[in-house]
Amino acid sequence: MNSVEYYSPTSLKEALNLLAAYGEEASILNGGTDLIVRMREGQSKPKVIVDIKKIDELHKIEIEDNYVFIGACVHLNDLGKHQYIIEKYPFLAKAALSIGSNQVRNRATCIGNICNASPLADTATPLLSLNADVHIYSENGLRTVPLNQFFVFVRKTILKQDEIVTGISFEDDDSILGVFYKMSRRKEVDLSTVCSTVIKSNKGYFVSYGAVAPTPVRLYKTESFLNENTLSQETIKEACMIASQEVSPISDIRATEKYRREIVEVTLQNSLLEWL
Amino acid sequence: MKYVGKSVKRVDGIKKVTGSLKYVDDIKLSKMLYAAVKRSPYAHANIVNINIERAKALKGVKDIITGDLFTKRAGLYLEDKNFLAVGKARYNGEAVAAVCAETEEIAQEAVNLIEVEYEVLPAVTNAKDGMKKNAPLVHPDLGDYKCAPVFFPEPGTNISNHYKQRKGDAPKAFEEAYYVIENTFYVPHVQHVPIEPHTAIAQMDADGCLTVWSSCQSPYAVRQSLSVAFDIPLNKLRVISPAVGGGFGSKAGTTLEGIIIPLAMRLRGRPIKLTYTREDEFQNAYVRQGLHSKIKTAVNKEGKITAVQNEFIWDGGAYTEYGVNIAKAAGYASTGPYDIDNVWTDSYCVYTNHPVGGPYRGFGMCEIHFCIEQNLDIVAEEIGLTPYEIRKINGMKPGGTTGTGELVTQSGLMECLEQVSADIKINEKSKLSSSKKVRGKGIACGWKSPSMPNDAGSSAIIKLNEDGTAHLLVSAQDIGQGSDTVMTQIAAEVLSISPDKITIRTGDTDCTPYEWQTVASRITYSAGRAVYEACQDAKSQLLELSQIKLGIYERDLKLKDGYVVSKIYPDKKIAIADLALGLTFDDGSGIHGPIIGRGSFIPPNIRNADKHTGLGEHPVAYWTYGVQGVEVEVDIETGETKVLKVASCFDVGKVINPQLIEGQVEGAILQGMGTALLEELMLKDGKVMNPSFVDYKIPTSGDIPEMIIKFVENPEETGPFGARGVAEPAMVPTAPAIANAIYDATGIRLNTMPMTAEKILSAIKAKEI
Amino acid sequence: MKKTINFILNGEPVEHAVDTNKTLLKMLREDFDLTGTKEGCGAGECGACTVIMDGKAVNSCLVLAVESEGKDILTIEGLTVNGELDPLQTSFVENAALQCGYCTPGMIMTAKAMLNENPNPSLDEIKEGISGNLCRCTGYKKIIEAIHSVAEQNNS
Repeated sequence: MNSVEYYSPTSLKEALNLLAAYGEEASILNGGTDLIVRMREGQSKPKVIVDIKKIDELHKIEIEDNYVFIGACVHLNDLGKHQYIIEKYPFLAKAALSIGSNQVRNRATCIGNICNASPLADTATPLLSLNADVHIYSENGLRTVPLNQFFVFVRKTILKQDEIVTGISFEDDDSILGVFYKMSRRKEVDLSTVCSTVIKSNKGYFVSYGAVAPTPVRLYKTESFLNENTLSQETIKEACMIASQEVSPISDIRATEKYRREIVEVTLQNSLLEWL
Repeated sequence: MKYVGKSVKRVDGIKKVTGSLKYVDDIKLSKMLYAAVKRSPYAHANIVNINIERAKALKGVKDIITGDLFTKRAGLYLEDKNFLAVGKARYNGEAVAAVCAETEEIAQEAVNLIEVEYEVLPAVTNAKDGMKKNAPLVHPDLGDYKCAPVFFPEPGTNISNHYKQRKGDAPKAFEEAYYVIENTFYVPHVQHVPIEPHTAIAQMDADGCLTVWSSCQSPYAVRQSLSVAFDIPLNKLRVISPAVGGGFGSKAGTTLEGIIIPLAMRLRGRPIKLTYTREDEFQNAYVRQGLHSKIKTAVNKEGKITAVQNEFIWDGGAYTEYGVNIAKAAGYASTGPYDIDNVWTDSYCVYTNHPVGGPYRGFGMCEIHFCIEQNLDIVAEEIGLTPYEIRKINGMKPGGTTGTGELVTQSGLMECLEQVSADIKINEKSKLSSSKKVRGKGIACGWKSPSMPNDAGSSAIIKLNEDGTAHLLVSAQDIGQGSDTVMTQIAAEVLSISPDKITIRTGDTDCTPYEWQTVASRITYSAGRAVYEACQDAKSQLLELSQIKLGIYERDLKLKDGYVVSKIYPDKKIAIADLALGLTFDDGSGIHGPIIGRGSFIPPNIRNADKHTGLGEHPVAYWTYGVQGVEVEVDIETGETKVLKVASCFDVGKVINPQLIEGQVEGAILQGMGTALLEELMLKDGKVMNPSFVDYKIPTSGDIPEMIIKFVENPEETGPFGARGVAEPAMVPTAPAIANAIYDATGIRLNTMPMTAEKILSAIKAKEI
Repeated sequence: MKKTINFILNGEPVEHAVDTNKTLLKMLREDFDLTGTKEGCGAGECGACTVIMDGKAVNSCLVLAVESEGKDILTIEGLTVNGELDPLQTSFVENAALQCGYCTPGMIMTAKAMLNENPNPSLDEIKEGISGNLCRCTGYKKIIEAIHSVAEQNNS
């Protein structure tokens, strides 16, 4: 690993100053379960590390004003084992607990999972289907961006060098029902071959998939079809066909494009069957 | 028996649970330097030029070596390898230069500064292609290589060993057969994945004595190989293996030792350490060879197999110094544990530009049984027999003959078959769990003999201490299998002193006596027998002295709980402690001196088989037979397979330690499951595409099935207390049993491993259409 | 580049100047000679380097040493107090829940953190809980039994 300068600011302001001062040379360190591996492999070579974990306000999960807010430094285990999340958003809890090992989840964060912008980020699909907003802090203050506009490409987001994601929020909606699926080669501690979250609420269906495109994606065509039709064996079948065409997976060493499309069909079908 | 057959607690347990056992990478020596390796990015390429100037200039770099400095070849059975590539690189990842420096980071940085100019050559990336006439030659000089006389390289080709087995008249039997069927299978490369990566330290003193600390299974074999490669006499070469964090064969031969020794020879006095990363482990340590197999079977109306014809083509990788023996072992075991009169087998070890193939747990056997046992189920179905019935008819029984023509006197295969069939309820159809998940059952048999030279020897020394305790010295390595405990138990039993009074020391060629290798499931058998003999030797010395002291004939004396005791008058006795340093008389004079027991063992009467036919009266020490049955559940929508239950039964001769032997079988089952369902070294143009745990998945605790583990005990008369080996054999039937169960559940027959969800789903869909 | 950090190591307060690019794993092994913590992959996939940080099991290869500032770190060496083995260590020996021993320290630390959090785990919870610790030798069965037997002792 290359030599680095390490800072652990205790306020957002301080953290921003460091990012501004060091520009491209700086990397934010959160859970570290991705960054440190990348540094070991020489894929990331930051000269300055800005560890944001000493910033207290980033560690909270807040439920107020009809919104659920998950702070940037909330560990996946804390999210997955949070009582309110388990009760109202079990699919999000399940997604959080499906990532890595127990040890990894004690360090890794949901926001880290999102900011890495891996196409197969497991917490991305529940949050996409929840229409979550990413909270971004910069010199100009706080702004929010819908998660579906946050991802740009594989490992690329709209985030600029001098910005920090402070958390993610979504509307606390009692009508939401959701199903999370993860297909992987091995039962425990594996990356998704395909992952998905299908939500049904008063506002309609929200369908998101991971590992089937360069970023985690919403399947808008599939959603429109579902919203325009009554759920039945036939419409489910048709929705699955639409979904399997709407995704654009690739073949890689984990699975072929064909298999991914088949799994999209199976997981969507099984998700929707819950409500038939 | 007091200690043998009991679950004596592991003698290395406390050191391991406290983290205090020092493995090689835990050793810190003063003035230690660290090595790093420059590796070829091409599978096959001439090395045109290596520029080390920039690397040399880096501060902290002490030395850099390239292959042309040490061109002597090494190898266990076939001397075909150099530790650093000479002239050309033969696999992607082969070492072409090595640096040593003050820190690992500097060494790595220096490696990045080495510039190598290559001329890329056409590569052999498939063993079958490698056998073709116009294939590029991986080793054009094969004809000049030194080779043990039981292997048959074909110079001018990529075939480094062509083993033939010819029993009876197979062509005639095929002509006369009621039914003939041919099947092909492919077993891909996998890796052993010990959790401890390879690591070694080398230091040469001013007087030319070299010490190598290596995480190795076989210190003596490593010493011999290195001695040849570097022209160091054995008395000046010391190999120490302080602890081994898992081996499974990958640490049986030499790998990285030869990279650091030249550095140590040039920088006398400085210890030099090299530790592989996990990525190195997948690419640059041994891997299990791939296998392309073709099996043709003739059966009569009753389901008796009358002939088999096998073609095994082994993808040996860039060097086959060890791999040639895998082709041989597979050849002479090619019938599987079945009594077949007519056998025609060709087993080829073929050079390719792939990672180096080497021995992996049950080498050759896991691979061929994946094919043999599936083939058998296919044959059974074609002629209307159940998997159980065809095994019952053809399975090896006492009185049968092996593929080498040897008469079988001892085989518990049928008892194992009955036990497993009962435990897995093979005759009851699996119940459906849901409309989307189907269940099925499968069984598979397996056999294995220790694949070793006929004269592979073991030795042991027992030293008695004056307080009645003892030191046991062997070079059998506890690589996790529990040999330290088992050797201690055998010594305790013979000497009748409790195991906690015996301290075992292993793994130091200067201090512990010769052991050929810790491989082949031969340690309990062979080293165990040497320990038995050593303790018998000490015992006879004790009895001789006691006869004088007690005035009782030796034949009327026995050892009991730390004493030599009269068999007739139990109160007439003398403590072993009082005899340990010899017998002292009342006048203070003494005789005999300290008691040291010495034991040596070579399996008796094993003779080479005929080199044209592979036939021989007694070409192997013994065969271990066993059976496993599994029940699986397959999700027909996704293709995912879950192993629900595994029943296992092996004829081990004698269980020395029930708890430890169970552990061997449990571990073997999980490894077998790994190869069956998850594991494959993905190779593309000779490059390993998944050299990390991210994409090479081994089973976790989340994958374990219910396991029913049993043993039968038909004694092996040459083994200690009747014991024979089982640690490798236990992995042999697991993968084919799973394949057979998947077939039972789905009607899908996959002729290749791993049987991934994707492959299964694809086959299910293809069948529907 | 070095930075001085203060933390608790196996119950003892420590002040230590450490390279900022060093992982916690390397610091424990190289600077403190606590070699019971092993490196199996360096990438957080095998669990051999598991230590307990502020009560939670973490992969020490995925933590920079400097992140230990103010933390309480427990390694396998800290489990044995005055020569007295932890019940988990005893149970691993009793149940033969180890073979080569290389994954054992990490496995025990994961189990320790798990039992601290949930003194009464089911067999399935144990299976899930240790799934981040790869063992190639044992087949896990005896490990699960060893942990379960400690849980049962705790609850009897």
